[in-house]
Amino acid sequence: MADADHAYLDARVSMMATGLHDPDTIDRLATLPLSALVDQLGLDALLDAAPSPRARSRAIEQALVHQLLAELQVLIRPLQGDERELMLAWGRKYALYNLKTLLRGKLHALEAETIAEQLFDLPAPIRLPIHTLFRAESVEELLRQLETGPYRQIARQAREVYARRREPFALEAAIDQHYYLGLARHVRTFGAPHGTALRRLIGAALDRVDLLWLLRFRLCYGLSPSETFYWLVPSTGLLGRERLLRLVALDGLEPVIEALPAPLAGQLAGSEDIAEVQRRVNIHSATIARALLAHGDSAPARALAYLMLREADLLRLFAIIQGRLLGLAQHTIDAALERAPSGCTWRAAACTRREET
Amino acid sequence: MLSPTAMKHVRLLVLAEDLPTASLALAETGLFHPDARAPDEARLDTAPARDYRRHHERARQRLDKLAELLDLALPQHIDQPRVIEPESLAALDHWLGELWQTASAHAEGLRQLDDEARLVAEHQAALANFAALDIDLAVLRNNTRFLDIHVGMVPRENLARLGGALGLAHYLVHVYMQRGDQTHVVIVGPSDAAPESLPQVLAAAGFQALPIPVELDREPARVRQQLETRSADIARRRAALERELAEWGADHRAQLLAAQQTLLLAAPLVALDPALRASGPLAHLAGWVPASAVEALEQRLRETLPHPFALSARDPRADERRLVPTVITRNRLLAPFATLVGQYGIPEYGEVDPTPLFAVTFLLMFGSMFGDLGQGAVIALAAWLLRRRLGRFWPFGLLAGLSSMAFGLVFGSVFGNEHLIPALWMSPLTDPLRMLTLALLWGVGFITLACTLAIYNRVAVGRWRDAVLGHHGAVNLVFYLALVGAGVGLAEDGALAPWPATIAGLALATLAWASWREQQGPLIERALVVFIATLETVIGYVSNTLSFLRVAAFGLNHVALAIAVYTLAGMLGEVGHLITLVLGNLFIIVLEGGIVMIQVMRLQYYEGFSRYFSGDGHAFAPLRLPRD
Repeated sequence: MADADHAYLDARVSMMATGLHDPDTIDRLATLPLSALVDQLGLDALLDAAPSPRARSRAIEQALVHQLLAELQVLIRPLQGDERELMLAWGRKYALYNLKTLLRGKLHALEAETIAEQLFDLPAPIRLPIHTLFRAESVEELLRQLETGPYRQIARQAREVYARRREPFALEAAIDQHYYLGLARHVRTFGAPHGTALRRLIGAALDRVDLLWLLRFRLCYGLSPSETFYWLVPSTGLLGRERLLRLVALDGLEPVIEALPAPLAGQLAGSEDIAEVQRRVNIHSATIARALLAHGDSAPARALAYLMLREADLLRLFAIIQGRLLGLAQHTIDAALERAPSGCTWRAAACTRREET
Repeated sequence: MLSPTAMKHVRLLVLAEDLPTASLALAETGLFHPDARAPDEARLDTAPARDYRRHHERARQRLDKLAELLDLALPQHIDQPRVIEPESLAALDHWLGELWQTASAHAEGLRQLDDEARLVAEHQAALANFAALDIDLAVLRNNTRFLDIHVGMVPRENLARLGGALGLAHYLVHVYMQRGDQTHVVIVGPSDAAPESLPQVLAAAGFQALPIPVELDREPARVRQQLETRSADIARRRAALERELAEWGADHRAQLLAAQQTLLLAAPLVALDPALRASGPLAHLAGWVPASAVEALEQRLRETLPHPFALSARDPRADERRLVPTVITRNRLLAPFATLVGQYGIPEYGEVDPTPLFAVTFLLMFGSMFGDLGQGAVIALAAWLLRRRLGRFWPFGLLAGLSSMAFGLVFGSVFGNEHLIPALWMSPLTDPLRMLTLALLWGVGFITLACTLAIYNRVAVGRWRDAVLGHHGAVNLVFYLALVGAGVGLAEDGALAPWPATIAGLALATLAWASWREQQGPLIERALVVFIATLETVIGYVSNTLSFLRVAAFGLNHVALAIAVYTLAGMLGEVGHLITLVLGNLFIIVLEGGIVMIQVMRLQYYEGFSRYFSGDGHAFAPLRLPRD
C-alpha cells in the first residue's frame, strides 16, 4: 500500500503508467512506416511544418522532451521540499544538455541562431538564463555568467577544470559528474519512508552510468585507474566507493564483469563489447524502475521511476522516427532500440552488406 | 467612439538599399504595424535584413554588457533621427566587440586578482598552521628520494574522490586544515611510482599548490611580511585596475552613448526583419495601417526615399480578419479603463471597443454602491496626490472618487453623516425596496445592452447565425425581454402576462431546436444536452439579472456601515468619538471601497464582457522610434 500523504500522486502515477509502452508495442511501432508512426503518435503536424529532415528530427525531439517535462511538472505539483527538489534535480539534465550545447556552440564559434535551434525549451523551474548566457562570447565568460545563478557549483567547477585543462572532454565530464554527484548527494539525505526506494532507483541509474563510464574511460580512452576513479560517482546502489576502487584497477572487459556484484555479474556475463554491456545494464536499471513502479510503497519513488521509464520510452520512439527520417536500415534502428544482443545486430548488418554486394 | 479604427493592409515594394531609410520613415510616423506573413510571390524568398539584425543583436549585447561593467546608464530615447546604413552598423558591432575584449580582459584581471588574494589568504592561514608545528618543514618542501610531496588545497566536495583516486596510486591524502569550502592537504606518495596521470587528477580535482617558503623555519616573521606585502600589492593592483577601467570607461563614454543612439535608430529595421522578403534588389514589406493614415504614410515615404517605390493598400479580407490589429483607445482619461479591458482581452478587429462603455458603467455602479461626498473626495484627492506613483492609473482613482462624490450629493452623505447636506434624491436606506427595484432595472438594461452589442459584434464580423441563434444572440434577447415582461406581469398582477409568456416560450423552443441541430450522438444524449442547455438559459438569465441586486445591496451596506461607525463613536468621549470616526471612515474607504471595486469588476467581466466581447484580438503595435 502506498503512503497516504501522497495518495493523489500515487493515483496520478498509476494512471500515467498505463501510457508506458510495453516491448511488444515498441516492436510493432519499429516496423511502421514514418507516416503511420507519426500519425499514431499525433506528431504529423510537426513533420508537415518542418522544412528539412534535420529540422523535422529536431522538432520531434523537442516535442518529445517537452512532453516528458510537462509530465514532470504535473508530478511535482503535489510534492514539496526534498522530494520536489530531487525530481527537479533529475530533470535538470535537460538544462545541462542545453548548457553543453551552448558551450559547444561557443567553442566552435557558432551563430546564436544555430545554437538556439538546438536548445530545448524547458519549464521555468529548471530553465537556464539563456538570454544572459547568449551574450557571452567565450566559454569562460559563459561559465562566469552561470556562476551567478543556481548552477553556480557546476559552473565554477567546470570553469576551473576548463581553465586548467582547456579540453572540452574535461569540461563536459565535470558537468556530467556534478549532475550525478548532486543526485547522489540529494538521495542520501532521505530517510524513511522514501529513502530506501529512492536510493535503490537512483542507485540503479548511477550503477549504469558508472559502469559505462568506467569501461569507456579505461578501455576506450585509456585513462589511468586513478583518473577513471576520480570521474566516477560512488553509487547508492551496487557500485559504491569501495567496489569502484576495485573495479577501476582491473584491465579488460571480462575481469570487470566478473568482479561485479550480483545480480549485475550474472546479467552481464558473456557480454563481448561495451554496446552489449550497455544494452544489458539498461535492462537491469529498467527492471528495477518497473518493479518500483509496480510494487513500490513510496509515491515519490514511483513518480521518479515512471519518469525514467517514460524517458526511455520517448527515446526509443525518437530513435525509430529519426531512423525513418534518415532512411536508416531496420537493423540499425533495431540496434538503437537495443532489441537484440549487439553482436546479432552487427552480424545482421554484415549479412545485409554482403547481400548488397 | 465605440466603433473600431478602420484598417488597411499595405504592401510596400522598395529597393533593398532603401530599407534603412524606409524603416526609419515608417517608425517616425508610428502608423505601421508589420505583417510577418510571407508574400504570395515565391521569388521573394530571401531575408534582406538578416545580417543587419545579427549585427544589431550582437552589438546590443556587447553594449549592454559594457554598460553593466562600466555602470553606465544608457538613455532609452533618441535625440535626432538619422538613417543607419548596414555598413555603419557592422562597423559599430566590430568596434564594440574590440571594446568588449578590452573591457572583459580588465574584468577578468579583477577576478584573477580576487582569486590571487584568496590564495594568499589561504597561504597565510596554511603557513600560520605550519609555523605552530614542531617539525622540519624542509621535509614537506622538497621531494625526497623516496617521497613525492604536494602541499596545497582542494575543494572540500572533491576530497573524498581525490583521496580514493590517489589511493589507487599508493598516495596518501592528509587533511591538516579546513577553511570554508577549501580543505588544506598534504599529498604524499612513492617517488618511483608516481602515475603519469597525477597532474590530470590533481587538476580535475581543483588542487591548488601552496608551497612552503624556504625561510619559514628560520624567519617566519619575514615570510608573513612577504605575504602581507603580496596581499597589499594585490590590493594596490586591484585599485589601479579599477581606476584604469573607470578612466577607460570615461574616455569611451561619449562614444558608447552615441552607439546607443545608433542601435535605437537601427531597431526599426531589426523589428521589420521577420516581415521583410526580397528578391535581388527588390524588397517587399507588408503591414497594417489605419485607413485614415495611408495617405500621410505614402507622403512621408515620398519625401524620404531616394528611389522609386510602390505602395498599395486594400481593405482586410474576411479570411484575415483575425490578423488585423485593433487600435486601442489612447484617450488619457480612458487609458486606465483600457488597461482593465486589456486584462480580459483585446477586441477583435470589427468588434465594438468596450472601453468607453466600460468606463461609464463602471463609474455609475461604483458611485451608486459607494456614494459619499467626503469619502469620494478622499479617494479623488489620494489619486491626485499619488499620481506619480499610480502612473497612468491615477485618472481611474480620480474619476472613481468624483463618481462617489456625485452620488454622495444624490444620497446626501458626507463621511457617512446624512444630516450635513440635503440629499438631492434620497438616502438609500430610506426606501430599500425602491433601491433594489432600480438595481434590477439597471441589470435588465445592462444585460439588454450587452446582448445588443453581442449581436452587433457578430454581424460586424459576418457571423450571422451566431448573431441570431448563438449565445446572447437575437433570439436570446427576445427570450430575455419577454421573460422580463412576463416577470413584471407576474409581480404586478399575480399572473403571467399571456403575450410575453408565449413569446418567451417560442424563443426558448427556437433555442432548443437550434441546440438540437448542433448536437451529435445518440438520441437520449442529445435530448439530455438540449434540456440542460435550455434550462441553463432560463436559470442563467434570471440569476444574472438578480446578480445586479448587489448594486443596491452595497449602497445599503455602505449606509449601514456608516451607521455602525457613528453608533460606536456615539458611545465614546470627544477624543474617542473623533478617532472612531476617522478610523471608521478609513476602514470603509479601504475595505468596502476595495470590495465594491471587485464587485463592479465582476459584474463587468462576467455579466458584460463574457456576453459580447471575445477578447481574441491583438493590439495595434506600430513601429515606433523611442522619443522623450
